[in-house]
Amino acid sequence: MSSNKELRLALYMAAVLFVVGTVCYAAFPAKKHEQPVRIMFKTLAGKVLFDHKAHTSEKGYALSCQDCHHHPEGDDASASACGECHINSEDKAPAPEKCLECHDSGDFEGVALTKKTDAFHQQCDNCHEKADAGPREKEKRCNWCHNM
Amino acid sequence: MPNQKKLIVSHAPYCHDGSNISTRSNNIMLAALPAVLHGCYLYGLPAVGVVALSISTAIIWEYLINLLTKRPSTIGDGNAAVIGMMTAMLFPATTPWWAVITGTFVAIVVGKQIYGGIGGNPFNPALIGIAILMLSWKNIFDIDYALLNYDFNFPAAYPLVALKHYGASSVESFSLTDLLMGNQTGSIGSAFGLALALGGLYLIIRGFIRWEISFSFLAALIITSLLFQLYAPGKYAGPLFHLLTGNTLLGAFFLATEDSSSPVNFIPMLIYGAGTGLMVMLIRNIGGHADGVVFAILLMNLTNPLIDKIRPKAMGKVNSHA
Repeated sequence: MSSNKELRLALYMAAVLFVVGTVCYAAFPAKKHEQPVRIMFKTLAGKVLFDHKAHTSEKGYALSCQDCHHHPEGDDASASACGECHINSEDKAPAPEKCLECHDSGDFEGVALTKKTDAFHQQCDNCHEKADAGPREKEKRCNWCHNM
Repeated sequence: MPNQKKLIVSHAPYCHDGSNISTRSNNIMLAALPAVLHGCYLYGLPAVGVVALSISTAIIWEYLINLLTKRPSTIGDGNAAVIGMMTAMLFPATTPWWAVITGTFVAIVVGKQIYGGIGGNPFNPALIGIAILMLSWKNIFDIDYALLNYDFNFPAAYPLVALKHYGASSVESFSLTDLLMGNQTGSIGSAFGLALALGGLYLIIRGFIRWEISFSFLAALIITSLLFQLYAPGKYAGPLFHLLTGNTLLGAFFLATEDSSSPVNFIPMLIYGAGTGLMVMLIRNIGGHADGVVFAILLMNLTNPLIDKIRPKAMGKVNSHA
């Protein structure tokens, strides 16, 4: 059994650390950058960890926002996440809410938006092909990005 | 002629050397402190929050359970604080507050107190808390996901996940010096290999943990990973990579050596440590988890009572009664 002195010390330590912990959680949550550093896409074929900063920074591939966030054109500030417009919906589903912020629902009659899965694959494939980066062998193509 | 004085034993009362459980607890926390501080430096105040909340709530849970069971308070011996600290070291820096509180509750109440308190627990309490959380909310322990918003000046992918999914070629992006010096992602207290190794050696030299367990753990891990690498070099990473990544060093020096859940005899300690190192590598290379330290130690905790029966025969002769 511990002495009264040790008991009091443990109680003081618990009280101080509890306050420190509460303050850290309340006042200093994990920081979020204006632009994401990395993005994790959770797909049916496993997770994909995309290094956003490596693709956009000057030391990395120095892509401009418009290279991927292609719509609306010429407006970096309003870049939307890919999945906000490209959704994996049924063919006759209503237009995504994000699109309706600027467009009328009538604008989408007869228009088939590229589905999310296809949009991502096309975007990554085309860019990597142009840059001659990434796997060329068919059997390694999925594992290059997907954690399966 | 042998020194006959060595065999002289006097009757009680004996002289107490002044050491107690709190001395042991304080030394374990001191040995683990550099690795924890490195985690706090790397991940900032969110990590400080996790460590502070984990230690404090572990003490509070133990105090409350002592009150509830009307037993003398045991928080002064520092064991609850050690469990809180070990639990915190296994958490990613962005662990939500409710998960920390739940983890320490499971560790202290389910992992330790329901067995009667210190010395009675068959499993490492901190690992019980972490294992329950890992099975219940596995996304919390996805290091890559937990640290998405951190910008590091070293490869940010969790090394063991990179190895598991992309093969041994992905290991080339991690320098062994970086891994040793803590320039890798991981849970709060597991990244800084050098600090963990020095802390472990300090505990061994001071006699607070047994070298047999740590040594056989690491030896088995090195041998097993080497055999895997020799079998398929393109698929499996080498011993040094496995030694310096994940929770290996934290497990070898601070988790597997927990008193109550590990053997006390020489041969059983070697078997227990070697079994843990072997299981870690089997889980990493063949199993579904990227890091197998938590489950490997818990599994060997389970075998502890059985393998600790391998011990010297008592001297003397017992008459057989027909």
